[in-house]
Parts: sequence; C-alpha cells; structure tokens
Amino acid sequence: MVRIVDNDSDYDEGSSLPMSQQEEWSDVVPIPQDDGKNPVCPISYTDEYREMTDYFRAVMAAGEVSQRAFELSGRVIDANAAHYTAWVYRKKLILDLGLDISEELSWVSEISGRHIKNYQLWHHRGALLALLLDPKSLEHESQDQRVQNPAIRNELQFVGEVIDNDSKNFHAWSHRQLVVRSYGIWDQEMAYVETQINQDVRNNSAWNQRYFVLTANQSADEFVLSEEVADREIGYAVEKIKLAPNNESPWSYVIGLLARHAPAMLYERLLPKINELAADKDYAVAVTSTPFYWSALVDIYEKQAKALSVDERGGVEAFAEEACDSLAEKYDPIRAKYWEYRKQALRTAN
Amino acid sequence: MATQLAVDSHARYFRICLSGLPHQMTSLDAARMTFVQLCLVGLTALGKLDEVCSAEEKKQMIEWIYGQQVLGDGTELSAAYCGFRGGSLFGPHDLCDYVAANSANVAGTYSALCALLLLGDDLSRVDRPAIVEALRCLQQDSGCFAPHPGTTERDPRFIYCACAISAILGDWSGVDKDAAVKYIVSCCNPDGGMTQAPFQESHGGHLYCCVASLALMGRLDAIPDRQRTLQWALQRQNCGYQGRVNKPADSCYSFWVGAAVELLGGHDLVDAAAVSAFLVQCETRFGGIAKFPDEFPDPLHAALGVVGFAFCNPDGFPRMSPTLLLPESLVDRLDIKAARRSNNGE
Repeated sequence: MVRIVDNDSDYDEGSSLPMSQQEEWSDVVPIPQDDGKNPVCPISYTDEYREMTDYFRAVMAAGEVSQRAFELSGRVIDANAAHYTAWVYRKKLILDLGLDISEELSWVSEISGRHIKNYQLWHHRGALLALLLDPKSLEHESQDQRVQNPAIRNELQFVGEVIDNDSKNFHAWSHRQLVVRSYGIWDQEMAYVETQINQDVRNNSAWNQRYFVLTANQSADEFVLSEEVADREIGYAVEKIKLAPNNESPWSYVIGLLARHAPAMLYERLLPKINELAADKDYAVAVTSTPFYWSALVDIYEKQAKALSVDERGGVEAFAEEACDSLAEKYDPIRAKYWEYRKQALRTAN
Repeated sequence: MATQLAVDSHARYFRICLSGLPHQMTSLDAARMTFVQLCLVGLTALGKLDEVCSAEEKKQMIEWIYGQQVLGDGTELSAAYCGFRGGSLFGPHDLCDYVAANSANVAGTYSALCALLLLGDDLSRVDRPAIVEALRCLQQDSGCFAPHPGTTERDPRFIYCACAISAILGDWSGVDKDAAVKYIVSCCNPDGGMTQAPFQESHGGHLYCCVASLALMGRLDAIPDRQRTLQWALQRQNCGYQGRVNKPADSCYSFWVGAAVELLGGHDLVDAAAVSAFLVQCETRFGGIAKFPDEFPDPLHAALGVVGFAFCNPDGFPRMSPTLLLPESLVDRLDIKAARRSNNGE
C-alpha cells in the first residue's frame, strides 16, 4: 500500500549505532565531502546523513560490489532521492549481484510514498519492470491473459494506488502509459480511463489518457479517425460537458482531437451537437455562460471559414468575430486582449 | 498604483539561502548548483546582486562552482561524464575507480554556466571541448537528451539544458538540432500544449523547455499550430498561471508559462495585473515567494516568481531574457543573436 507522507519524515531506519562504530564498516575509510573553503548554499546536514554519505562516497568511488553497498545505497536514496549517481550505482549493483527484481520493486513501492514526485524513482521502476518481464515473452498471449500476468497486475495495482491518492500525479500517469504501451494492454485501459473520468470529470490527466488509448500510441500521421469513432467521442464529450459545462477538459479534448485528425468534423459533426446543447432549455444557460463554449465557436468557425471560398466566408467569420467579442466583453475578460487579437487575426487572414 | 514587490525582503531571502539551507532541504543536495543559480537569478532580476554580494564573495562563489567541474581526461570512457556536477556530494574528483561516482549532469552544467555569467566570470576555465563532447554522448536516437549516463531519464528539460549550454558556449556541435526539433514536435499535443514525451499530458514546465529550446535553435517555426499553443499557454492564466488544465495557480508558472508566452509573441496579451497580484499573495512576510499563498517560500519559486513579476512589470526591473534566465544585457554579449533573427523571420 502506498503511503503518502511528508518529505521531511525521518529516514532513520538503519542501525542506531553510528557507522564508524559498526564492525561491518571498520575496513572502510570514509571520504568526507570536499565543499571547498567557501561553500555556496551549504545544507546543514544531519549527522546521520553526513556520515552515510561519507561512507557512500568511499564505497562508490571504489566501485564496491557488495550487499552492504547495496543496502547503503538504499539508505542514501531514501534520505535524498534526487542523488542521481546513487540510483545508477544501485542499478549496477542489482545486476552485478544478480538480485531479485521483484524484491527491488517492492522496496521502491515501500519508499515511494516519501518520494512520490521524484523522477529518478519512477525511472528506476520502469527499468526494473523491463528487466523483470520482457514484452516479447507475451507476444502470443491475449490482452486478457497479459493483464493476469503477476508482474503486470502488480504494476497496475501500484500505479492505481498512487493515482487513488493523487489523481493527477504526472509521473504515475506517465508510468501507466509505459506499462500499457510496453505490454499492449489497451482494452483494460479505456475502462480505467472511464472510471477515472467518472470519479472526477475535471481530471485532465484522465482525459489525456483517453487520447493516448484512443490513438493507441500512433503518431498524428498514422492514426486515422473514423467517422464512427469521431461520433462516439463527440457524444462522450458532450455528455461530460452536460455534467459540468465550465470544465475545460472535455472541450479541449474533443476540439483537439478533431482539429488534429479530422478538422472538417469540427463544423460538420461537433458544431450541430454544440448548437443543440445551447438550445436545450436544461443546459442552455449553463453552457452558454462558459468561456469554453464561446472559445469552441471561435475555433470551429475559424476552421470552417478557411475551408470556404473567400466570397462565402463572410457569414461564418462574422460568427467567429461575435464569439470573440462575447469572450472579451463578458465571458473571459482576463483574456480580453487575446480575443481582440484573435479577432484581428481573423480579419487579416483574408 | 501598480502592485509592488517586497524587493529588499526578497534580496535578503536570497542572500540567506546562499549562506545556508536547513537540513529539511537535503533533497536538494544533488541540485545545489541549480539553487545557487536560482538565488543569483533572483538577486539579478531584483537588481540587487551587486549590492548584496561583494566582489570578494563573488570570487568565492566562482571558485566553489569551478570546484564542481568534472574535467575531461581525453579518454572515451569518461567523455559522457564531463561538465559540472549538481553539487559537492559526489566525487571525489580523483580516486574514483568507478567513473559514474563522479558524474556531471546537464542540469548542473547549465546552472553552473549561468551562475558563472551572473557572477561576472568569463568562462575561461570551462572545459568547453569536454562539455560539447558530453552533450554529443547524451543525445539519444530519439533526439532527446539524457541528463547523465546510466539513467533512462530523457525529457525536454535536458534538451533545454543542452541548447542553453550550446548557446552560451557558442558551439552547437554537440547537438543534432534536427533530431532535437523532431523530438520536441512529437511532444506537441492536440490541445496546443507540450509535454515530456509523446502522448503525455500538456504541462507548463515542459512547454517552456520545448519552446525555449526551439527559440535557442532558431526553430520556433517547427511548432505545428503556433496559434493553438499560444492559446493553450494564455489559457493557463486564471489569476496567476497554472501548470496544467484544472490545476491551481502556482507561482513558478509565472515564469515557465509566462516566458513561453513571451517567446510566442504574446507579451501584450497577458493580464499582467492579475499575475502580479497573485505573486504578491504568494510573498511571505520575511522575504521569499511560495508556490501557493500562505505556504513557506523556497528559492525556486522565489526566483521564478520574481522573474515572472518582472515580465509583467518591465519598468521597475532589469530586463531578463525569457530564453536563458540571464539579463538581456548579458545575452546580447553572447553569440546567439543569429537564432533570434531567424525566429523573427528576418
């Protein structure tokens, strides 16, 4: 279970005796830190941290490959998880000593509550997973079978717990993508995304994951958005807009998706749905008083105008300009200067 | 009356941080160089560096920074480890049988070069060939950079460091620009934002690293839909700037997003008064700027908050460069004007 605790929490889980008095370390000459005569931004280390890093410097400089070096690396990392060479050394020790990768993953899980936003920790985790389970070994298994693989199940559970504690943790979502992509477990991920969006419709990390799963990691050139899928995604976004109209995520999701992969669908398929919503007495007031509604109209009409001949453009452009005015004057005053600029840009585009 | 920043209190805060940090900040130990840089950036942006640090102190700081340099020994084995370490907890410089024990880091190198320039050093003791060679080793097939050997970390933060280092040294032979640009373009999301790797969520910090890298390489024209990117950046303002959609405003994004807006040509489109008012809410009584109102300050949010404030209130402060966290007056002396000209389509 991941426990989120304060970063300041104590790391004193090692022996209570100073290392200098421990028999195990009697053969090592510690290397004190050389901070020069006039250190800048010196940190007033605890005695314990100072001592463990003195010994760690000695052991690492010698490139010692031993169980005690491995354990010391863990104490140093838990005291200062951004110690970038300690992570490199630890990974080398795991490989050289032939240590159990699953146990190392458990250790990472154990300390991760204290370092949940640390980049090195998550990258270490990803590297371990690649060592533990070669994606090629699952080539002939179905997605359902793969999800049942203990290593994958364990990983999804771990990341799931982190996201349960902090639903927008950037590293956790990034790690989920690594797991899903490496092992090709796309089907379960769409269900996960929907659960997350249902829990918090404003969770933009989950909306982003929806795009990742939808395109299944294909680049902008490779991915083809079919009309059927576009209609489904438009319907999905509109339903979520109904729940909370003043929520940037579904608006920006559906406009971004269509603008990149099927721009004509912005005015052919999305616009009628938005107009319908704006005319629906249950939603009209709530929807048309959000900046996202008006900004969507600017984006859509602008795209539509570009697809028309210069003579035909006028009416559509007038709609876009009116939307810019509404934004500047009423619905998005903090960006008034931007909407004014955007309006000018529409005019000069001709 | 325009919003005022507590300039003297913040100058005192940065001065205190340069003198020492409490043990609760031990997690910064491997990135001390960056915190040295940030304190100096803060003082420079306030126009207070010369008042607060004597010439003798500056000399001492320059010595400490050079003390973190990992010099090339001419062997291929050690090439990728050269540059500046993030602090003095690594090492020692000699006596290392295991070369990775004393590894530099592109972030350390970038911070060290900026800090040296802020302190008035002429970079004459910088091992330029070794640094350029290290960059060459650290760029990946994807075009992205690793911060140091032996890690799987790669993201636009390190592309930015590599670009800034190359711009400062006036030597781009360590960077394959086309490859780096291609990677950055793959990080451009449909919503207009940018992120750390393809398909990840748009993020103001990575937006900055991507946009500033492109600016330094003279390749802002590579952004797929610049209008949409500018809009995404401007939409992060709800009073101050948030870093991601539906997250609270955070003072450091007044720099990350604010500087990206500057680079994208949106300076005049920002509600500068609202950003300034938010930053003043994040100020603390005895100096320093916190991430959020009513929290404890730290040097990163303090320095980036001051620079973000200066973007919004250009008359009261030395003009800071949105590409390099250095004063424009200093950047003008570096040989990076070529990139700026091509970005402006000149």
